[in-house]
Amino acid sequence: MNEELILQHGLTLDEFQVIRKYLNRDLSIEELGIFSAMWNEHCCYKTSKKWLKKLPTDNEIVIQGPGENAGVIDLQDNDGIAFKIESHNHPSYIEPFNGSATGVGGILRDIFTMGARPIATLDSIRFGLIETEKTKYLLNGVVHGIGHYGNCIGIPNIGGECEFESTYDFNNLVNAMAMGHVQKDKIFYSKPKSIGGLIVYIGSKTGKDGIHGASMASDVFSEEDEDEKRPSVQVGDPFMEKLLMEGCLELMSSGLIESMQDMGAAGITSSSVEMASKGNVGVYINLDKVPLRQPLSAYEILLSESQERMLAVIDKKNNHKVREILQKWQIDYEVIGEITDTKRVVFESNNKIVVDLPVEIIVDDAPEYDREFYIPRKRKNKDFDFSKIKLEDMIINLLTNLNYLDKSWVFDQYDSTVMGDTIREPGQSSGIVKIHGTQKVIGASTDCNPLYIRINPYEGMKYTVAESYRNLIACNINPLAITNNLNFASPLDPNIMGELVLSIHGLKTAAIKFNTPIVSGNVSLYNQTNEIPIKPTPVIGMVGSNMDLNKINTNKFCEIGNKILILGKQLTKNCSPYLLQDQKIAFNISEFNDLEVLNLDFEKKIANCVLELSDLKCIMSCNDISRGGIFSALLKMQYKDMGFRVKVPDPIDLFCEYSAGYVIEIRSKDFEEVTSFLTKKGAEYLEIGEIIKEGIEINSKKFDYFDIMNKYRNDFEKIIS
Amino acid sequence: MSFKSAVITFPGSNCDRDALCYLKDLTKGEVHNIWHEETSLPKVDLVILPGGFSFGDYLRSGAMASKSKIIDEVVKHANDNRYLLGICNGFQILTEIGLLEGALIRNKKLKFLGKNCFIKKKFKNNFNLSIKDNQILQIPVAHNEGNFYCDTETLNILKNNEQIAFEYCKGEFSNTEENINGSIEAIAGITNKKKNVLGMMPHPERAYSDFHQSQDGRLIIESLIS
Repeated sequence: MNEELILQHGLTLDEFQVIRKYLNRDLSIEELGIFSAMWNEHCCYKTSKKWLKKLPTDNEIVIQGPGENAGVIDLQDNDGIAFKIESHNHPSYIEPFNGSATGVGGILRDIFTMGARPIATLDSIRFGLIETEKTKYLLNGVVHGIGHYGNCIGIPNIGGECEFESTYDFNNLVNAMAMGHVQKDKIFYSKPKSIGGLIVYIGSKTGKDGIHGASMASDVFSEEDEDEKRPSVQVGDPFMEKLLMEGCLELMSSGLIESMQDMGAAGITSSSVEMASKGNVGVYINLDKVPLRQPLSAYEILLSESQERMLAVIDKKNNHKVREILQKWQIDYEVIGEITDTKRVVFESNNKIVVDLPVEIIVDDAPEYDREFYIPRKRKNKDFDFSKIKLEDMIINLLTNLNYLDKSWVFDQYDSTVMGDTIREPGQSSGIVKIHGTQKVIGASTDCNPLYIRINPYEGMKYTVAESYRNLIACNINPLAITNNLNFASPLDPNIMGELVLSIHGLKTAAIKFNTPIVSGNVSLYNQTNEIPIKPTPVIGMVGSNMDLNKINTNKFCEIGNKILILGKQLTKNCSPYLLQDQKIAFNISEFNDLEVLNLDFEKKIANCVLELSDLKCIMSCNDISRGGIFSALLKMQYKDMGFRVKVPDPIDLFCEYSAGYVIEIRSKDFEEVTSFLTKKGAEYLEIGEIIKEGIEINSKKFDYFDIMNKYRNDFEKIIS
Repeated sequence: MSFKSAVITFPGSNCDRDALCYLKDLTKGEVHNIWHEETSLPKVDLVILPGGFSFGDYLRSGAMASKSKIIDEVVKHANDNRYLLGICNGFQILTEIGLLEGALIRNKKLKFLGKNCFIKKKFKNNFNLSIKDNQILQIPVAHNEGNFYCDTETLNILKNNEQIAFEYCKGEFSNTEENINGSIEAIAGITNKKKNVLGMMPHPERAYSDFHQSQDGRLIIESLIS
């Protein structure tokens, strides 16, 4: 085989030699295609596997950890929650609308493949600076695409994040998370149960879209690539997915299916190989039976990433019943092969065997690299001059920065109340939905702190996990488990690889301390265009629960006259990176001081205080303190005609970041009870002020309430249009 | 006598379950779920055409659903002077069938709109009897094509016959515009001439339970039952 062809398929010559030696024969072009699809980063995690293995993935509530389509946790009784986050970064840069739409479609299939009905989605999206020409186009396209798909299929979008930063100028990030509700005794896995089971194809016909999508997702980009790679982006049809979802859920609840696997990245290749590998069996598939949208070669069928398709294994005797149910939903259905005992993957096309490979070489022998990595050098301490900055300017800086403004423009394009179980909509510290027909709620939050992680990947990652944790705690939701989406630039650069390794360690440390195992996830590498690497962006989605929906806290002010208390510990001004960056004090990454070590025990201690006070109904509203400090948290809490009057030793304190930071609103009559409780627990607090009508007052200085709130609520749309 | 009702499900309906819960919880009576290919409809007091994207909104929102087999029965039900409520996509279907006047075109800003909106009643009918004049209701909307449009002549007819049931308005402290999607005269819902068929864009079935942000959606079912 010629070298160029091998390299075009994203394999190194060394990797090819391993295959060649194992098989002791030449490969067919179809077989080369299979290795291209299965041996890239996206499918086999060859760079990250060594480190991912170190993550905690199990505890008493984990029903299914990483390795299946989604992780599943126990929510008592017969209720389980399946959830996962996945990236669609590269496709969303090339074609933002379809790229993001199919990102949502893909993650939803991962959920209902497990037998779970999807009940909520969240999105973590990051773009370049709004001044960059392309950003507005990407933002509009991505938001439209996410909305288009989720709204049509009818799954509420309950939150996420949307940030702007220069390193994402030519490499925006789109990470979509979904959660589903499953009966614990009806979880479906990809492992087939019996030899001789029929392999059936369910869903849309196969077309040319998305061929080589997975290997594209494992590639470095240059700008010229954009047009050339557009045909590699899949096109989504949410209506078809809705039918597919209802059809599959009906099949599963009727017990007509043995196992199921969605045809996601690397299409029929990946799903059939996974099936064989999980069951330690073989598969035989006749590609001539695959429903096609247009004439395709065997090679194209194997690698197509056409959307809304599933592969399932059924018992022969159920063939007729399965067909009947799918006819009702007007879904294509075809028997295309069967489970064999050969432990080989065999594909036939035009009466010819085009692929005949042992499962072992594709899956077990997939490459695993121990790439070189550097540990970042220690930072030198630096003092900053805060004397010149004025409170008025600080407020203006925040209110002209997209990252601080209310993002209703984004969330209003999503249906967040369909299914009728939404408790907290997007824009609050975490999204919350009720488990249908119960009093239980689940909450979720997605977070990442790329600046912190660039400064110190290990500590930064601890802060990221702590932020999600606080988001849930603030609502009185008990954090339970994590899904992660590790977005990094090229791991061939030892500095980037160092960020990857250390942040995984940070994730491990925090996840163990919080007892929130990682049950699913995704890795997206090579996020760099024109040699500009993105900031390290390991996004986490944390899921938690409360068994009683009446105990949930609101993030919005409740009543004029109530007191405002601060819990937690302020980071020093010199070590408060977003204060320094967004108040235009520090500019380059090299100027920042090292992060303060985050004390996770302290985080837990304060969190437990918030949870206990919430259960005692002493907390009227609560919000966590993150980027933008207390001031930003207070703006988010504003509601109806309520504002705030606060007094602090130094106005800059209002803009610093915190560890274990929460703003809580309490009634005057509860003040004694709350403060003596906190004192007893050894938790320091600061009483900073009270809720007032239509006013914002800081250290006796009055600000224009209506002007500030108007800017906060409406300027996002003005800036981006 | 107990109140009986039914919800029609089309392929792509996604608020059918919500509507079923809404009816079950509020009417305490028999509730049927009817698949679009059925050719008969049980004798019920109220039929709901639910929200969603029937047939993927292909061709035009509601256009394909209006040709479904069950529609003949739905029309008969309405002609028998019994209640028919179309919510969101259901409203679009009703205009496509021709049971209601006008059309729902794309929102003024050409973007999907998913948020709380505020409405009040315009003219009295059996769907809004329990709502006081000038009472502001908070009910979510979620639509891309909710901008009600009709010609002047039709608008005059709607006004003269008092067929406008709901109009969008500003909430007390809200940031929302008075007319969120650009509808003619801020129309949020209309009835037929006999006032037994109502189409509305806001989703009352998402605003009735204790845990919802508002319970104002109850008032519609309470009006019908009273």
